[in-house]
Amino acid sequence: MNFRPSWWLAAVAAAALVACGGNDPYVPGSGSTQGAPTTKGSFTAVVSFGDSLSDVGTYAPATSLTQNGQAPYFGGRFSTNSATATVWVENLATQLGLLVTPAEVGFAGTSVKCPAAASPALASTCTGYGQGGARITDPSGIGKAGGALTVPVKTQIANHLARFGSFKSSDLVLLLAGDNDIFVQMGLFAATAAQVQADAAAGRITPDQAQLALFQAQSTAQGAMKLAALELAGYVKDQIIAKGATYVAVLLTLDPAITPSGNALPADARGVESALADTFNLWLREGLTGQPVKLIDPNVLLRDALATPSKYGLVNVTHPTCDADKIKLITGGRVSDGSSLFCNATPGVVFNGMRTGADANTWLFADGVHPTTGGHRMLSNYIAEQLKSFGWI
Amino acid sequence: MKPILHAWPALVLALGSAAAQAQDNVAKFGVTRYDTHSKTSGIAGIGIPPGADASTGDATTWLLTYERMVTPQIGVELVAGKPPKITAQATGSVAFLGEVMSAHSVSPTVLVNWHFGAPGALLRPYVGAGINYTKFTGVRSNYPWQVGLSDSVGPAVQAGLDVNLSGAWVLWASVAMVKVKSDLVAVGATVLQTTIDFRPRVYSAGVGYRF
Repeated sequence: MNFRPSWWLAAVAAAALVACGGNDPYVPGSGSTQGAPTTKGSFTAVVSFGDSLSDVGTYAPATSLTQNGQAPYFGGRFSTNSATATVWVENLATQLGLLVTPAEVGFAGTSVKCPAAASPALASTCTGYGQGGARITDPSGIGKAGGALTVPVKTQIANHLARFGSFKSSDLVLLLAGDNDIFVQMGLFAATAAQVQADAAAGRITPDQAQLALFQAQSTAQGAMKLAALELAGYVKDQIIAKGATYVAVLLTLDPAITPSGNALPADARGVESALADTFNLWLREGLTGQPVKLIDPNVLLRDALATPSKYGLVNVTHPTCDADKIKLITGGRVSDGSSLFCNATPGVVFNGMRTGADANTWLFADGVHPTTGGHRMLSNYIAEQLKSFGWI
Repeated sequence: MKPILHAWPALVLALGSAAAQAQDNVAKFGVTRYDTHSKTSGIAGIGIPPGADASTGDATTWLLTYERMVTPQIGVELVAGKPPKITAQATGSVAFLGEVMSAHSVSPTVLVNWHFGAPGALLRPYVGAGINYTKFTGVRSNYPWQVGLSDSVGPAVQAGLDVNLSGAWVLWASVAMVKVKSDLVAVGATVLQTTIDFRPRVYSAGVGYRF
């Protein structure tokens, strides 16, 4: 009697079974980008796409001191404005010995593309496309009804291609967008949530039905963020890399729930807002997996600054420096939300919109979401560090 | 899956060519109750509240086994059957989601059994140990999620009793415990992940025929 064949067969069968194991389902967003340059660039332009965080002065005419759209302007950047205040995109350009000017300037129906081209030597500097309120694809951005241009990132890129024909390997291309899509989706979610809560309070639906309705409203908002992120990734692939860009850094969107505007939300709404940012970033990562770009997560910096302000020379990371009441007065009642677009930090001037005691360098936030001049410096330092770590600068 | 498809015929052929003995093959048919006692790692995903979990349901199906006796005491048994439909119910902080998904578990098992007593005895208890391979097919979700489950390979143990009737017929019953563990990824607007340890206890009974 020979036992061996059966044991041997069992072993073979076991080996075959083990060979079948695994087959792990794919987890979107778990991959990474690949093939971005690893050598120093010889940059001739900083080409920046995005929203208010990257806006280098699109809406300055709305802050005309003479109220006729003409200079001088007391605002124009979503930060603590002054004669010398700059945003992160400009800081990076300066560090590279370059100049970046707005790609379009205007407000309320009238705008001029590449105003710097009035002086021919500066014609190639108008590569600051970021516009306050801009979304990824949808032209109906935040503040559009009030006169903001809100040209979406999709069109910003198309405008660059229309003016310059293509991207160059000497362009440092930067993208930072997504928050305005979050704000739009949060608005829609909040409206549904209010209705659901009212229905639940009135007993028209059960608590379980209410939770399910809220979950579905959140899923719908997350679905919209997924779509926006995959669209952005598509533009990066098809309209930027495929059109000649070599040095492309894509910033993940900042989580607005950890800014003063987010702090003002109820806890569960904050959770939804964070989820929308995380959802966007997950799909942006997924959409760019394997692409020759670099991803930078500015939330790492923001969280660190909130946890350890002193490391960044900050003394206040919770309160906006801009005073909504002062800005309301300065704008003759037009602006009541304290938007830093209208916030000037120059000491002693009548149009100074700063809260008493606030400091544009040691406080982090200018308004509910935007950084001060010091905050922008912190951001550009961080981005520069990342670019150095890539070997790009 | 390919290796296993190739392995079965090879195994059956090889077993068939082993030294022949009288009545050294047994085919069994039975009804089986697949009781899961699942535990998960919790459901993680963007926008999923903490404390989200799920539990799996039980299922009844039928099964077929083929056992080749290689000695009067030792048999190698293949177990297959109609894949039971397992459903998953959301629990914990997401209990309001109700039933979230279903899948069929295709679960072939190879066991090596030790049969007590002598061939032909009225009652022959047996114990066995082996390996189970489980693949999930026909995965469906009640939500707009694309659900993927990894294959599982794990040990299986069983204890059973054969009641030898006159002629070649056998009545049998067994209980088995199987390690079935699978990583689940559900992709919708967001990505949900969990690992499910199904911890099934499988109760079966039926008739068999020796040849």
